[in-house]
Amino acid sequence: MVVDQSPRLDLVFHALAHPARRAIIRQLSGGERNLSELASPLRMTFPAATKHVRVLERAKLVRRRVLGRQHLCRLRAAPLREAVEWTEQFRKNWEARFEVLDSLLEAMKQEEAKSADVKPAERGRARR
Amino acid sequence: MLVVERFRRVLFVDRYKEFTVNKVAPTLQVSTPTDTTIVLTRAFDAPRRLVWEAMTDPAKLRRWMFSPPGWEMTVCEFEARAGGAYRWVWAGADGRPVMTLRGEVRECEAPERVVHTQVMEMHECAAATEFVVTLELTETKGRTGLRLTLTFPSKSERDQALTWGMEKGMEVGYARIDAMLAQNHSDIQRA
Repeated sequence: MVVDQSPRLDLVFHALAHPARRAIIRQLSGGERNLSELASPLRMTFPAATKHVRVLERAKLVRRRVLGRQHLCRLRAAPLREAVEWTEQFRKNWEARFEVLDSLLEAMKQEEAKSADVKPAERGRARR
Repeated sequence: MLVVERFRRVLFVDRYKEFTVNKVAPTLQVSTPTDTTIVLTRAFDAPRRLVWEAMTDPAKLRRWMFSPPGWEMTVCEFEARAGGAYRWVWAGADGRPVMTLRGEVRECEAPERVVHTQVMEMHECAAATEFVVTLELTETKGRTGLRLTLTFPSKSERDQALTWGMEKGMEVGYARIDAMLAQNHSDIQRA
């Protein structure tokens, strides 16, 4: 069960609210990367990129380990899973509504097709 | 990394400016491109004028608008014109109103765009949230793409709206949600 007042989830959503941090996560979904690999496609200074990584670390989305002079980052899936579960519920509620709309639209299409069949026949009778 | 894949589909739809049916998935996609918005996109296998009618004509709205078990939609009004008003009221088994959604239509360009405010009132608690709903419809070859953008005054109100379905699920014993939760939970454990 997901608790909506979870401060941890707040951190996760805050962490995901920035395009640079989403770009970092996208990169990390391909595997472990070091800090300079993460920073280079972001078109920002190294310290700025490091700051974004720290926000992700605080949300426990990224784990960093130091190997010699390298700082290696890796993605942690658990908080993402929680965030998915959270929005997934919202999505399912709306999807259920839209599925009802699908059937209504189907009915409307059929009604329309039926009245389109009737009209030429009526016109035919009028001419006769 | 199945979880990450799913997550990307759910939340990473941030470049959504080019809006054509071909780019809209047939199932509903929910994304949160900014701190204060929720964007829903979905395709419908029907021409746009029918989707428009279903979404703006009260008689049609009534036929698909969500109604949890035990609730009945007692008022369904919608004036599809700029400056128009709308009001949807649901009542519980005792006939007393449980929830009201109401607002003002700010822009209305049939059959492609409506912007309206929405105030959600739960009659048991005083708190009401107001947000702006933008509905956009686009058509290609008889199919319609829908984009619904919900814009909230703050991030916390946005987040509250995202969890609303779950809270209500617990309050009104919305059994279907429990079942879906269980399903969802097992999906995630498998992932």
